[in-house]
Amino acid sequence: MSPLAERLVADLRARPRHFAELVEAHAAVAWRDFLRAWGEVRGLEALGRDEQGRYVITAPAGEEAVQRRT
Amino acid sequence: MKQGFRDALRVLEDAGELRRIKKAVDPRHFSALAAQAKEATFFEAIEGYPSWRAAGALVSTRKRLALAMGCSEADIARRFEDGIRRPVDARLVSDGPCQEVVWQGDAVDLTAIPLPLMHVKDGGPYISATMVVSKDPEYGRNVGSYRLMYRTPRDTGIDLVSSSDMRRYYQRALDAGRPLEIAVAVGVHPYEMLAASYKAPIDVDEYAIAGGLHGAPVDLVRCRTVDLEVPADAELVLEGELLPIGWTADEGPFGEFSHITGDVKWNPIFRVKCITHRRDPIFYMLQMPWENDWLAAPVIEAAGLQALRIASVEPVAIRAPVGGCCYWTLIASIRKRPGEGKNALLALLSVAEVKLAIVTDDDINIYDPDELDWAMTFRIQADHDVLIIPGARGKHIDPSVRAWSLGKGGLPTTAKLGIDATIPEGVPREQYERLRYFAKDAVRLEDYL
Repeated sequence: MSPLAERLVADLRARPRHFAELVEAHAAVAWRDFLRAWGEVRGLEALGRDEQGRYVITAPAGEEAVQRRT
Repeated sequence: MKQGFRDALRVLEDAGELRRIKKAVDPRHFSALAAQAKEATFFEAIEGYPSWRAAGALVSTRKRLALAMGCSEADIARRFEDGIRRPVDARLVSDGPCQEVVWQGDAVDLTAIPLPLMHVKDGGPYISATMVVSKDPEYGRNVGSYRLMYRTPRDTGIDLVSSSDMRRYYQRALDAGRPLEIAVAVGVHPYEMLAASYKAPIDVDEYAIAGGLHGAPVDLVRCRTVDLEVPADAELVLEGELLPIGWTADEGPFGEFSHITGDVKWNPIFRVKCITHRRDPIFYMLQMPWENDWLAAPVIEAAGLQALRIASVEPVAIRAPVGGCCYWTLIASIRKRPGEGKNALLALLSVAEVKLAIVTDDDINIYDPDELDWAMTFRIQADHDVLIIPGARGKHIDPSVRAWSLGKGGLPTTAKLGIDATIPEGVPREQYERLRYFAKDAVRLEDYL
């Protein structure tokens, strides 16, 4: 997994976030790089949603998936 | 002659309704910039995407939609009716600019397209200006418009919650345990977008309706990897299939055509197998909610005209205001005979999800809000001229129907409101004689300045 994808997973583990919040937190990253990293996070199949539509990492699936990819 | 997406841009530019932005723009900022411009926006340079340009908000106003349709603002419904009455079959051609560049296999990568992030609570970047083609072995070809949410370089979500022909096709494929092939054309003329938005009967080819609007056949090319056809002059085409997983993948929220942030939905996944595009492609971003609303206006207004005629009421003008998202409200003026104010309301309230209808006489300019207010002030007695119809079919996206309180699969109902702002029966028309200025035509202000 790319360092940026790892940071996105860490962000989501810290608290639920809307996609745009993640984008703002990494605003300096080139858009295409961000989208690639987001694709990696999606590929973990460990993303869930809370009641407000924010993304969350579903534990423990997230832990296992990240470990498999790193 | 059939016009293309670039012809529509040229028409807008010639009318002073297109703003060119020369400085390179990040796709994350397309939508916010388009929202600040009074004109349609054309991004001549895109940060990180040197071979692409982008355009948005083409038909964000009634004026721009009318320009694209080559008619007056008052005539968009009749222009649309003319098109659907005289369909022109599409024509298959051997090649087209939409396939000048082909990405297949490992080269398929959605991140190479400047996908815009539009709203603060969207579930991801969206492709909003889609013309989606699918085919069913029994029912044939269907064309509709469905939003796509970026998931991975090869996958998007697709909003297939609402009832539609393609939803039916997907359900049939799902029941058979197979994927449904689709192709998505982006960057087509507004006529094609209108045809895709129109809920045509299942045996009617939307490409023929687009041809009717153009007055010329739409040229189609065969897709490279799926058994489908797309407009040859599209800017971008995505080919692939809806995976047979049912409504199981998260999609949304998205800034909806109701001007409200929607909810997370559960939808299928679109797996992209091939991307084709022009050599110098222009990405088209449908600016929400305005473009979505205005593309619905001719369709809903034409349905209103038809409903009035079926009710034997003579319509003079009709308008689906953008405040009602060009969807929930219809205002019509009629040449009224006794009782027809109410008949007209019943007809208009039968159209799709219309929940507010207002009817005036033909002396009222329904495009002038002050005129409309005047009619509603002096031609209405609320105990006689207001109809409320409870328990009609509603739409989930309207917060006032409290859809969240329904169980899973529950369908909302709504009350419908009709306001008869025609001159009441028994009140002589002379009672409404407008004041007139003495000597108005005899003197001119300029002569005194």
